[in-house]
Amino acid sequence: MAKRRLIGSRVSAQVALAPALLIALVIYCGSTLWTLWISLTTSRMLPNSVFVGLRQYEVLASNDRWLASIVNLAVFGVLFMVAALTVGFLLAALIDFRVRAESLFRSVFLYPFSMSFIVTGLAWRWMLDPTLGFEKLLHDVGFADAHFNWLVRPDRVIYTLVIAAVWHASGLVMAIMLAGLRGVDREIWNAARVDGLPVWRILVFIVIPMLRGSFATAFVLLATSVVRLYDLSVAMTNGGPGIASEVPAKFVMDYLFERGNLALATAAATTMLITVIAVVAPWYHWQGRKTHVGAAH
Amino acid sequence: MIRSLLASTAVLALLSAAPANAQTPARAEVIHWWTSAGESAAIRVYADAFNKAGGQWVDTAIAGGANARAAAVNRTVGGDPPTAMQFNTGKQFDDLVENDLLANVDGLAKAQNWNTVLPAAILDAVTRNGHVYAVPVDIHGQNWLFTSSAALAKAGATQPKNFTELFVTLDKLKAAGLVPLAFSSQKNWERGLFNAVLSGMGGSEMFTKFWAKRDVALVKSPEFRHVVDTYRRLHAYIDAGAPSRNWNDATAMVIQGKAGMQVMGDWAKGEFTSANQVAGRDYGCTVLADHEITYQLGGDIFAFPKPKNATVAAAQTLLEQVVTDPATQVAFSAKKGSIPPRQDADVASLDICARQAHDWLRDKNSQVAANELLSPPAVTGAMEDLISQFWNDQSVTPEVFITKVAGVFGQTF
Amino acid sequence: MTAMAQPNGRRPKRLSAGRIGLYAFLVISALFFLTPLYVMLVTSLKPMSEIRTGNILALPAAPSLAAWNSAWSSACTGLQCNGIRVGFLNSIRILVPSVMASIMVGAVTGYALSFWRPRGAQLLFATLMVMAFIPYQVFIYPLVRMFSQAGIANSLLGIVVVHTIFGLPTMTLLFRNHFVALPIELFKAARVDGAGFWRIFIQIMLPMAVPIIVVAIILQVTGIWNDFILGLVFAGRENLPMTVQLNNIVNTTQGERTYNVDMAATLLTALVPLAVYFLSGRWFVRGIAAGAVKG
Repeated sequence: MAKRRLIGSRVSAQVALAPALLIALVIYCGSTLWTLWISLTTSRMLPNSVFVGLRQYEVLASNDRWLASIVNLAVFGVLFMVAALTVGFLLAALIDFRVRAESLFRSVFLYPFSMSFIVTGLAWRWMLDPTLGFEKLLHDVGFADAHFNWLVRPDRVIYTLVIAAVWHASGLVMAIMLAGLRGVDREIWNAARVDGLPVWRILVFIVIPMLRGSFATAFVLLATSVVRLYDLSVAMTNGGPGIASEVPAKFVMDYLFERGNLALATAAATTMLITVIAVVAPWYHWQGRKTHVGAAH
Repeated sequence: MIRSLLASTAVLALLSAAPANAQTPARAEVIHWWTSAGESAAIRVYADAFNKAGGQWVDTAIAGGANARAAAVNRTVGGDPPTAMQFNTGKQFDDLVENDLLANVDGLAKAQNWNTVLPAAILDAVTRNGHVYAVPVDIHGQNWLFTSSAALAKAGATQPKNFTELFVTLDKLKAAGLVPLAFSSQKNWERGLFNAVLSGMGGSEMFTKFWAKRDVALVKSPEFRHVVDTYRRLHAYIDAGAPSRNWNDATAMVIQGKAGMQVMGDWAKGEFTSANQVAGRDYGCTVLADHEITYQLGGDIFAFPKPKNATVAAAQTLLEQVVTDPATQVAFSAKKGSIPPRQDADVASLDICARQAHDWLRDKNSQVAANELLSPPAVTGAMEDLISQFWNDQSVTPEVFITKVAGVFGQTF
Repeated sequence: MTAMAQPNGRRPKRLSAGRIGLYAFLVISALFFLTPLYVMLVTSLKPMSEIRTGNILALPAAPSLAAWNSAWSSACTGLQCNGIRVGFLNSIRILVPSVMASIMVGAVTGYALSFWRPRGAQLLFATLMVMAFIPYQVFIYPLVRMFSQAGIANSLLGIVVVHTIFGLPTMTLLFRNHFVALPIELFKAARVDGAGFWRIFIQIMLPMAVPIIVVAIILQVTGIWNDFILGLVFAGRENLPMTVQLNNIVNTTQGERTYNVDMAATLLTALVPLAVYFLSGRWFVRGIAAGAVKG
């Protein structure tokens, strides 16, 4: 009796996973294989099957814009993740100190995440434009020498993307952290206070380690948006000035549609995919072993 | 074969039945990216003419050429094609032709004698393997120089004709405290300015060698080096706001007299017109040329996916007829700022710049096919990246730029 | 309301220098976060002449809703001058089933992966993890082909399926991480009581997942409502979402730029996710209170 039910449940579990399995196999793996194949051909606007081996990858490796895109993404990714995690955690920790109007602050910090990247990019582009935005404002009020022209400087433009992205995502980090903080047992705070520990030490040495899960979730969510970074670059700078704010996803999109070069686009996409697997697989392996220990039945 | 049979029966049906009492109007869905005020007014000319001829125009406007083309191509590949779709002249629809997804318009081309009424560059641009695959609906010149009469007067300068005069004028504008060159630092406009210098200094020969033949010897020549140096020199005459500006915001600076001039295609005239400015009075238009005028010809076309049935074929035939009517083309161009592809159209009603362009088109020596017509998107794109890098980053020397260009020319596309 | 989640920080005894600093920091941060919204709002209320000459932070001299009116009901895209209201209903019709479907599939998958671990579960999760990082633009092309083969290209069903597909990795990750953190004893006790796969899921796990469901709704409503490219490619001409109209208005490459209409259209499009955020902020805390497991 119990045995049959167990078997029934096992079948149910398989059934429940069927949609995900189907999507993973047919859509993800199918598309990936297709992408891989096309990257080995000479396809232009529409796919063909003229096999040329790794030639597209050679072209890619010598493409200035692709190389610049990778560097840009790395700079953006590191700065954005560090800044968003720090700001998000800081806001959550501060809000957690029983501030008045907590829900107002929470909403204010969270609302940017409801805006699309297109909107975010447009708004910030406008405010950072030296002839329209803050620089003009400073000039108008008498600071004629004030400069805030990062948006138009090839060596600084990537930081403006970071500013806009941090504005966009910090609220989400804050929400995740706040959820984590609320799960921290109050006894821990009380005990630590009895011991006379200063607040910052409690936060850094006791609370943050307890929020590992929250940090991991936030980290993964932010990381996915880094690799996928596209709309923001398009709306804010369109990759410019020059190629100073180009990113890999935009490279793929431009070659896919604007430039009608499927083969090179898919070669770039495949390179991204392999890089992601190379980073995620070890992390996942490590993570998987941990949960085995923690939640084995 | 079947297609031409269908088409001819459709034409017969059209001729025999008065359009007004047609039972079911020919329904034509057109995907295009003409969404601005001036563009909408222009496309309305075609839509109204089509409806008047007994059809039913179904408008699918999607802002942004890449977005619109992606939607159109995906739908065509996916088996749900629109009746017609807009492309720029050039190689954007090559793959659709190769995959046999487009209907040809050979019959129409022959009936209307396109060999003589269309400029050769435009006819070439829609012809693949001896078949005509698209209908040109407008012609745009890409290398105009627009000048603000007010700004020139303020600076005591005159409208330049060649590059020597250009720098004299730019310096005077700068001295007068104006922005000499209104500019929008988007990659395609950076390429547009480069192209204007290239054809303006090197004529159609250098322009074709560069884009069509991808001649490595050319880019190593002192003449080309001179073009590169001139292009770099222009950078000193733009303002700091250029990188985050749209091209039409730059045009607005010329309209307001804040900036002296702008290099842009003739679609910019729409901006002047909507600001109630008149060509030849409030603003000037010319093409810079050190030797002979070299007018860069591009434009827009309608391509027609293979029809699924006779109803669609009939709608396509009707649409083809409507958009190739000379009077309708002139009315369209008046709104769009373009000139009609048909050389037998009466352009007396158009502005002075358009009439000038119409004259240049009659002379084979003063025109050249635009960049997009000469090189596939992959080459254009790769060059665009290099040009943009060179323009924006002063640490990229002309030597490095030239080496990189030669490198791209060496690749196979 | 004793179940309301309580902040953990120390109870303030008096208004110390530290607390003043804390409020100062929060207020300055809040100003930073609010500036773009403020700029968009005041810009949408100004006429174009004032936008060109004035500064971006100035209040409008004579606030006018003309731009809002135009954006909602008369701004033109191509030949249709109906503003962005056309897409509003389409966006709702796409949003509701897409959010429900993607969360349901994600929750069930996360649950099955965390407690049941059938064969291949590890590999499936790894695949989902990798896919969470891939720009979905990469999949558009093959998907178009698959969908037209399956006959669901350019349809409401098609776009709902697409959103479910692309929401799956994040949704699964969210729910799986939540379920993994729950005490395994809960699950074991339910098994001893003889509960099966679905009963445990519906009666025990779902109620405990309320806070995560709220987070999932927030993420999905935002993502799907703000989506542009998927709606454009997969929804078909009759179902184009509001963002496509917004793009037509905001990203039009030619013609004079009416910043006030752009901003009004942008704010109108952002209203739904904004409302969800401001409303769910409350639920967020309550949900956590309800879902918090003591011990």
